Amino acid sequence: MKKKRNVLPYAMLIPGSVLMIALVFYPIIVTFYYSLQHMKLTAPQDNRFVGLQNYQKILSDSSFWYSLQNSMVILVVVVVLTAVVGLAIALLLNVDSKLNGVLTAIAIIPWALPPIVNGVMWRWIFHPSFGFLNRLLLRLDLVEQPVQWLNSRWSIMLIASLVVAWRNIPFCAVVTLSSLQAIPRQIYESAVIDGSGTWQTFKHITLPLLVPSFGIVLTSTSINAINVFDEIVSLSGYGDMSKNLMIDAYLRTFSFLDYGVGSALTYIIMILAGILGLIYIRNVYREVSYL
Amino acid sequence: MKRILSLICCLSVMASAFAGCGSKPAESTSSAQASPSSAPADSQAAPEEEAPAESAAGGEITVMVPPWAEPSQELLDSFTAESGIKVVMNIVGWDDIRNKISIAAVGQTAPADVVEVDWSWVGEFGATGWMEPIEMPQEEKDGMPTVQSFIYGDEVLALPYANDFRLAYYNTEHFSQAGVDAAPQNWDETIAACKKIKEAGICEYPLSFTLSATEAATTSLLWMTLSKYGDFFNDDFSVNKDNVLGALTFLNSLVNEEKLIDPASQNMKDIEVYGKLTAGAASFMVGPTYFIGLINNPEESQVVGKAAATLVPGNGTIKTATFALPEGVGIPKYSENKEAARKFIDWYTSPDIQVKMYGEKGNIPTRTVALQQLIDNGTIEGGDVLIEQSDYISAPFPGGIPEWYPEMSNTIYNSVNQMVQGALTPEQAYENIASRVEELRQ
Repeated sequence: MKKKRNVLPYAMLIPGSVLMIALVFYPIIVTFYYSLQHMKLTAPQDNRFVGLQNYQKILSDSSFWYSLQNSMVILVVVVVLTAVVGLAIALLLNVDSKLNGVLTAIAIIPWALPPIVNGVMWRWIFHPSFGFLNRLLLRLDLVEQPVQWLNSRWSIMLIASLVVAWRNIPFCAVVTLSSLQAIPRQIYESAVIDGSGTWQTFKHITLPLLVPSFGIVLTSTSINAINVFDEIVSLSGYGDMSKNLMIDAYLRTFSFLDYGVGSALTYIIMILAGILGLIYIRNVYREVSYL
Repeated sequence: MKRILSLICCLSVMASAFAGCGSKPAESTSSAQASPSSAPADSQAAPEEEAPAESAAGGEITVMVPPWAEPSQELLDSFTAESGIKVVMNIVGWDDIRNKISIAAVGQTAPADVVEVDWSWVGEFGATGWMEPIEMPQEEKDGMPTVQSFIYGDEVLALPYANDFRLAYYNTEHFSQAGVDAAPQNWDETIAACKKIKEAGICEYPLSFTLSATEAATTSLLWMTLSKYGDFFNDDFSVNKDNVLGALTFLNSLVNEEKLIDPASQNMKDIEVYGKLTAGAASFMVGPTYFIGLINNPEESQVVGKAAATLVPGNGTIKTATFALPEGVGIPKYSENKEAARKFIDWYTSPDIQVKMYGEKGNIPTRTVALQQLIDNGTIEGGDVLIEQSDYISAPFPGGIPEWYPEMSNTIYNSVNQMVQGALTPEQAYENIASRVEELRQ
């Protein structure tokens, strides 16, 4: 007997597939095509195929390695800050209290803020002349002159990381909190019966069971940290000193109108983010066992 | 039956999605044209099949300009009343407009029907062909000298609305308190006066200067070089080493040795740096021409009656120097309302509106007749200085603004910014600039 084919599932896939093809796959293919071209918009007559020369040019450019360094510094600081503070907040919110709902709602606010708003707000805190922090320090007589927070590479990196972490911590806290609340109480009760102390319980039960969700959170945070753009631009503009990979790609593509090199750099960033994304997907499908 | 219904639903969703994506821009334009109640009756009565995609006698246009170019609603209403064209203003930060134009142009669209065009974008906009050439008779060009800054090849890419060049301003009260009663005539006198002001404790950082990694730092180095040492470029477009290195060394000493410039300027926007003078927190600056009206506007300035304009200081044989940094408005190639956009530009840059815009925003008119009117009736205080300074406007770029100006400017402002932060010596900053210009010239 001939089996009747069910076309409905395929039909249901069409809208999503069309959107994915138009908004994801097509740009990826076009960007790759551009990355193999000499394509400077101010010299349209000079467009030509150059193979991997644009990639070669980027990898031999000290500006790329400088931007990569900045991106990596932000990545490490953001991941560490998000992990530590996010976990601490999740543990605090996990304590039974009537204020939990309100506190969770407050904690989520920074996550809900658009990155550009976040950046502008922090700029007014760290403004070199009339920022909130300088005003506070001057009023408390802790400094004699306004501190130039944004005048050195490493202080900008640190502040940018703080700003990005501030936006990511709520997500980390909420996901970790939900994982904490999903851990069966019986495990803790057994541990208490076996004579386990608070620290031992945390170290040997809570922390290992949080690892899968933590993996997801940190990989997502890492991708956010690599893609940070608005916050740095709000804090210190498009200057060379604070530029990361995203700003470098933006400048090459849209300021210098070099779409060939800009596309190649975008591809390199995509590969870096893709590696982190792979880790993310693996963590999503990791099985969790509480016993 | 259930499956058939599901399939129908699915197809309906897809169809509506495609319908949403596929609506032609021309359709939205025609609907916009029909909406204003002020549209003339004849355009409304025109048969639908004969209605053009755009109409000069009605419709709606979008205008993307920075805050200082925004006309009041009253002025816009007067334009709508006389033309039937509704104007939607899109006010965007100056820095972002160029990138919005380029991103949109790559996608073969226009970010607005009328857009800001800065003098420094003309080279690349001309090379890429992103702007619609504007027809302009010679006699009209003669009455608007700064339009020369917007000509690429033989084509006018934009009409200037703000006649900006650099002019010096000083706080007369600070100067007299320090025992200096006359405006400084050259850089030596300026620095000597600023030192006296600092030593007397009148102002900690008397000299206001843009040092952040932005376009303003590039133009500052350009006028500083021109006024103190001479040309920035040689005739073959290579960088003049003596002049540029001299200017960089001088600037570095003002920040890091004399401490006359606020280190916070290294990370402040240009408008914040200029605002130090109007806030009474600086004693001297070289800034945009519109400050000539702003310094005595009680709503904007805290130094009303205590500040004056003077010529940009010179040095030795150079009495003074400046160069034009006009801003204009143009029509993107991909605008769908070019005719209406042109009507707006003609209105916006007309003498009458330029006079009114000076009153509203302090933009110095670009039409000679409008500027003369404001000076003659005493509206522009210090107009004689303005006129005298304009005699010393020179073009810093031999052969016009190059299409690689943004890349060069990026290197200049980053080098200046890193030098004043101590990351580069003046020699290294010069080498960065010279080698980059050489590379771009190739």
